[in-house]
Amino acid sequence: MEPAHEFGEETDSAGDNGAAKVQDRLQKRNQARIDDVERRKEEKESQSVAEEKLEYFSSTFKREQMCIEDLLSGCSGADQGVVNQRLEEATIKIVQLQKFLNDSVLFLTQYELRQAQSALQKLQGSLAEIREKALPKKKFAFRARTKVADKVSEQETDSAPPYCTPPADLGEVVRGSSSKLFGFSNMDNQYLTKTSEEINKRDVLLSHLSNCKVRLYGSPSTLHLKHIDKCEILCGPVATSVFIDDCRNSTLSFPCQQLRTHSTTDTQVYLHVTSRAIIEDCHGVSFAPFSWSYPTLEEDFNVSGLNKDSNNWNQVDDFYWLAAGTPSPNWTTIPEADRKTNWDP
Amino acid sequence: MGLLTILKKMKQKEREMRLLMLGLDNAGKTTILKKFNGEDISTISPTLGFNIQTLEHRGFKLNMWDVGGQKSLRSYWRNYFESTDGLVWVVDSADRLRLQDCKQELSTLLLEERLAGATLLVFANKQDLPGALSKEAIREELALDDIKSHHWCIIDCSAVTGENLLSGVDWLLDDIAARIFTAD
Ligand SMILES: Nc1nc2c(ncn2[C@@H]2O[C@H](COP(=O)(O)OP(=O)(O)O)[C@@H](O)[C@H]2O)c(=O)[nH]1
Ligand SMILES: [Mg+2]
Repeated sequence: MEPAHEFGEETDSAGDNGAAKVQDRLQKRNQARIDDVERRKEEKESQSVAEEKLEYFSSTFKREQMCIEDLLSGCSGADQGVVNQRLEEATIKIVQLQKFLNDSVLFLTQYELRQAQSALQKLQGSLAEIREKALPKKKFAFRARTKVADKVSEQETDSAPPYCTPPADLGEVVRGSSSKLFGFSNMDNQYLTKTSEEINKRDVLLSHLSNCKVRLYGSPSTLHLKHIDKCEILCGPVATSVFIDDCRNSTLSFPCQQLRTHSTTDTQVYLHVTSRAIIEDCHGVSFAPFSWSYPTLEEDFNVSGLNKDSNNWNQVDDFYWLAAGTPSPNWTTIPEADRKTNWDP
Repeated sequence: MGLLTILKKMKQKEREMRLLMLGLDNAGKTTILKKFNGEDISTISPTLGFNIQTLEHRGFKLNMWDVGGQKSLRSYWRNYFESTDGLVWVVDSADRLRLQDCKQELSTLLLEERLAGATLLVFANKQDLPGALSKEAIREELALDDIKSHHWCIIDCSAVTGENLLSGVDWLLDDIAARIFTAD
């Protein structure tokens, strides 16, 4: 507020008219001040509502979680009737807790969500385990309990990957589209290359390769690797994602925006990734920074639009390892001394 | 204020819709969501769990849920079915390799009782890629014409250029609104 300035202006204007103007201005200013106070109050309120919601969520979730844990831990040594009752109660409570979490998702942060999801997963795990141990085989079951058992077996199938679709039939895929799929398939012990004219801005597929060395000089849109064994595959900057499925004993290197790795074992990835790499159902995957180079790499980086200065090669999310805090045992970084530096064919 | 009151309040709000966005991983769901919201799409990471965005569009409040499509997460999809008004099924039109997988997942999804009544929008995404299949080809590959249980529509789009994203969502809103808000 600058009242001095306000009155200074007044002396320039004449008589009543000037005073009215000032009056008007003062009033407006006052209104603005009131609005401002009102707005801040609202902000503060909605802030505290948000905090309140969060607090309510956390404490309720914790309480329910502990209650379920108590129910479960009270099962050991108890007699059959008590165990049945406790398991049934725990089952229902877990379902309710999941629903509570789903309903609260709008105001939770990613971190809180993850925490809660993994807590729920743990509860479901121990419930299944205790049920397995504590309950006699189905033929002895009471009627009432069979219901619960059904519910749980449904949950158990839930936690396994639901649809293990067989690998896509290549014949099917190529049907009507062979002119548009670029790559190599069904080769053993070969040295294979492609140039940027062949692959730029295209989806490239390498499948069913073993003992091959592959060099892709260029910038594909997406790179798919499927059923790869004992290969060395190097590729220029991939504009979007690299998709790996069922790859073994291989060495890979490329820059990309995202890396999605599935069902892969004992494979080294020399990686430049501008967002994130994830692994799912993998073991023994190790990572190091991208270090391959070829004459037109710079150009291809430009084609891909990838940021050359941003590399998150060592930030890997494991979808099979949601426990926060403990690192996934399924991937490692390659120690500097062990990294490959010579990429000559 | 207790949680129940808050939830009730949220649900009472008129012209509010819940849209669930599903599809295989890498289809472009998160990119569509961010593009729609005017955010940077160059730094999107694979979705671990889900993203939720609340958008205002044409006076509607849209709660859009983007749930990760990784195999290990698909079994959790059903946790998000409750009170879904619209289902957005996103297809990577260039990913010929997984079209059968995609078809399978979609048809399983449409059997879900809790999704009965939800309007289905299929986005044939990534049309900016030279290798992308046309929406007609995808319509055929996914056998969309066999769907009798839901109102559906397929729209070709690109999350990168933003092409047709709005017209898709507009169709979805119109269909849902006709169903929900004109009942009385
Ligand atoms: N060319 C192109 N790439 C896209 C498009 N939409 C998404 N992408 C890319 O596809 C990859 C996967 O996208 P994302 O949104 O994470 O997929 P989600 O798993 O379905 O959430 C990313 O690298 C995106 O940049 C599109 O319309 N065109
Ligand atoms: Mg995503």
